[in-house]
Amino acid sequence: MSLWRQLTYGLRRMVHRTKHDRDLADEVEQYFQDATAAFVARGLSVEDARRAARLEAGNINIAKESVISYGWENTITSFLADLRFAARQLAKHPAFTLTATLTLALGIGANTAIFTVVQSVLLAPLPYQNADRLMVLNTHWTNNSRTTPRVTGPDAADARDQAKSLEAVTLYYGGNLGVQLRNHSTYSAVTLADANFWRVFQLQPIAGRLFTEADTQGAALVSEQFASENFGSAQAALGQVLHVESDPLQITGVLPAGFNFPGKTQVWEARPLHEPALDNRTAFNYKAVVLLHTGVSLQSAQAELDALSQRLQTAYPNDNRNKQLIAQPLQQALTGDARPTLMLLWSTVGFILLIACVNVTHLQLVRSMERHREIAIRKALGSSRRQVMQPIIIESLLVSLIGGAAGVLFAFPAVRVLVAMAPKELPRADEIHLNGGVLAFTLALAVLTALVSSVLPALRAAKVDPAEALKNDITRGMSRHGAGRVRDGLVIAEVAATFVLAMGAGLLLHTMTTLMTRDMGYDTRQLLVVDADAPARTEDDGRRAVKQFNDIFARLSATPGVEHVAGIMGLPTGLYGSNGYYTVTGAGPVNTSHSPYADFSVASPGYFQSMGIPIKRGRDFNDQDTFESAFVAIISESVARQNFGSADPLGKQIQCGLDSDKWMTVIGVVGDVRQESPAQKPGPTLYMPMAQHPYFANQIHIVLRTEVKPLTLLNTVQRQIAQVNPAIATRYTTMDAMLDQSIAVQRFRAALISSFAGVGLLLAMLGVYGTMAYSVAQRTFEIGIRMAFGAERGIILRSVLQHATKLACIGIAAGLVLSLILARLVTGMLVGVSPIDPLSLAAAALLLLLTALAAAFAPGWRATRVNPMVALRAE
Amino acid sequence: MGDQNTDVIQGTLDMVILKTLSLEPMHGFGIGRRVEQVSRGVFKMNPGSLLTALQRLERAGWLDSEWRQTENSRRAKFYKLTRSGKKQLETETADWTRRASAIARLLKAEG
Repeated sequence: MSLWRQLTYGLRRMVHRTKHDRDLADEVEQYFQDATAAFVARGLSVEDARRAARLEAGNINIAKESVISYGWENTITSFLADLRFAARQLAKHPAFTLTATLTLALGIGANTAIFTVVQSVLLAPLPYQNADRLMVLNTHWTNNSRTTPRVTGPDAADARDQAKSLEAVTLYYGGNLGVQLRNHSTYSAVTLADANFWRVFQLQPIAGRLFTEADTQGAALVSEQFASENFGSAQAALGQVLHVESDPLQITGVLPAGFNFPGKTQVWEARPLHEPALDNRTAFNYKAVVLLHTGVSLQSAQAELDALSQRLQTAYPNDNRNKQLIAQPLQQALTGDARPTLMLLWSTVGFILLIACVNVTHLQLVRSMERHREIAIRKALGSSRRQVMQPIIIESLLVSLIGGAAGVLFAFPAVRVLVAMAPKELPRADEIHLNGGVLAFTLALAVLTALVSSVLPALRAAKVDPAEALKNDITRGMSRHGAGRVRDGLVIAEVAATFVLAMGAGLLLHTMTTLMTRDMGYDTRQLLVVDADAPARTEDDGRRAVKQFNDIFARLSATPGVEHVAGIMGLPTGLYGSNGYYTVTGAGPVNTSHSPYADFSVASPGYFQSMGIPIKRGRDFNDQDTFESAFVAIISESVARQNFGSADPLGKQIQCGLDSDKWMTVIGVVGDVRQESPAQKPGPTLYMPMAQHPYFANQIHIVLRTEVKPLTLLNTVQRQIAQVNPAIATRYTTMDAMLDQSIAVQRFRAALISSFAGVGLLLAMLGVYGTMAYSVAQRTFEIGIRMAFGAERGIILRSVLQHATKLACIGIAAGLVLSLILARLVTGMLVGVSPIDPLSLAAAALLLLLTALAAAFAPGWRATRVNPMVALRAE
Repeated sequence: MGDQNTDVIQGTLDMVILKTLSLEPMHGFGIGRRVEQVSRGVFKMNPGSLLTALQRLERAGWLDSEWRQTENSRRAKFYKLTRSGKKQLETETADWTRRASAIARLLKAEG
């Protein structure tokens, strides 16, 4: 009741403010009149009565003031009045307002954009049912603390059958495969999963039904997108037949849009719960996702898995030695790789915001020094500490909120650019969007910014001593030294923070240039790459595929514009590849405790010539190396060096576990290549002819060395391949594009950090400019005197530039120390560059010094233009 | 002149106002004068705190107010006790009596 009255009274009074205030004033007035009248009634004259009333009741205005200021609504109205005052002040100082707002818009906008990505990728729950109960099973090696993100079929099946904390366990594998439809072939992400997949993810199809344990073979589900792209609609897709690896699959159901786990899967092929062919405790062929029972914690599930792993180690002492099953939250497994990059970006924008705050603090300080007299007068008239500080904080809040709003507007396109720039490896990129959580974060950030950037000016205002301030005329440049020192400190902080950013950008850019100019071991230019997947299931299918590919190579090499053609399984930076241990005979003395390791590639004759990989010794594969003839291999220089030292490797025997354990004769030695990306060292590779390894020869890359622009041949090549076999799924790219793709993460990081460093530099420049301009303006009188006494213009300019240089140097030194401390964080992201790379250091230092000098030059120049007569007459 | 004047004891201002208004509706100066007369000049009221207190009591729902003509035909704001104001007065009076007698006992015991 009384709360309600409080509220309504207050609201009514806010609406009818003037009437209520007048009523209250009238009431007070009335009181004094009554008091006067009472004294008159006692016989005093009107004049004396009035004085007596005042003596007794005090000052009428103070009474009015205290009566009118009662009520909660006054706090709000005074806040609103301060807000209006702040708005008017800001409107009156457009230069200050614009600079401060833009600075904050940049700082807050960058933070909003990055936080949007961080929130959507790392923080938001996965868009699956029971996302918090989904875990990935990994295999952990207790002897070397490594973790393999896969499991063996039997181990995972034991977990499925025995672990009581797991509600469901699914095993799956897959990748990009050619999918043959009735009239064409397409590349799609295909996952082979058991029927438990749907129990783990608890999905319902939008059409048809899920496959079950009864559909051991020949059933598939497709995504809504796949259904509508290839059949027109979800309903139309039901019952249709498609082929994957020659297996006919009938579509039993269509899954809702938005579900594409794992990794953008379009087709889910039914796999039996138990595949005898993969029944091996040393073959890590599966990935496994489990659903924990409701209420079971990760810890207790892990405890159960530990006990199970222990039992398996005892039961299978050879196969399961040191093996431990580890559960990891699915979200962590999906986004773990992106975390360091996102954290780096997040801390970088944190620095930007810090610089922005320092800048605004700076601007605020300059402004509050202009307001020195106003504040002194307010204090002299009896304003409290709070009353002096409140307008400053409110003004800062207003600036921050405007800046924050502008920042959000800026963040919308920024997020879109970020997503477009993001490397394909960035998980959950399609889920990134601005949302309520992000806006709340931004609001909190804006308020925090306001507080941080206004605390110093507000405290200084509170400390103003009116008597001192009114005496001390700042326009004459005789202000206390403290004020200048604070501003210098801020500039130093700004330069230091910017130096850290510039240093980081320098390191990442240097990494990028290192990567881009690296010799890959082959010639990357003018290479058209065709991903080709010929349907094959058996060895005979494979041999047929090899024959068809040979036919294709022959046709393509006769095509105008094509210089050389070859096929390869295991192209550098390519889709397919294999690696493993191998053994040699006739090797020199090598470390026998572990077998040597190499990448395995399966190539057609002419591959080395097409790629520009030099043949150092021996010969290339040729048409006489057939499935029936003696098995041969070509090794890269590293393999030769590791195993044979200076001995001649030609004629030596080599054996590897790719598909057969036949001994192969080494017939040639070629140069090393960087296999995965330019970030890698050139490593050992074992090449084998396609004709002798048909099981690995149906999913290959066709490489074409062209005389013309590679992609102009696309249609011709496609036609030629389709003429040989229309069921071969193809995809086209160039070697340069693939290389580009392989360093996309590094490029993303370097580009973003550099642009943030650019923003930081801009802000630091503004900061230096501001402080120099202000101190020159303050010293106009002093400069006038010095010039009147004959100081050269050059000396004046030099003194300004010297001051800027001093601040910049201290800032750079501080930034250097900070960089050395933070360098550890980026070490893992650098390739061929030391974290204290002298080139990056020098570049960052020089850049900042030049920036500071450039920023100080304009005010310095203005100082030399001071006319002594005008300056001295100014007061 | 003001030697014997005291501000109304802290915390009792509300009770004193409510008690005064329980006799008849009054305006601000009337209340002040009545308190001064009845207390024989011991308590004098400062218009700032009196009128602020009136606002507070009105918002608490213990008083109602209206503008009326005074006896010498001037406009003034008259305050009147509400039902919940009466109840509040009873509570506060009882509370005060309890405290005052306790203090009186304490002082007597000391003497």
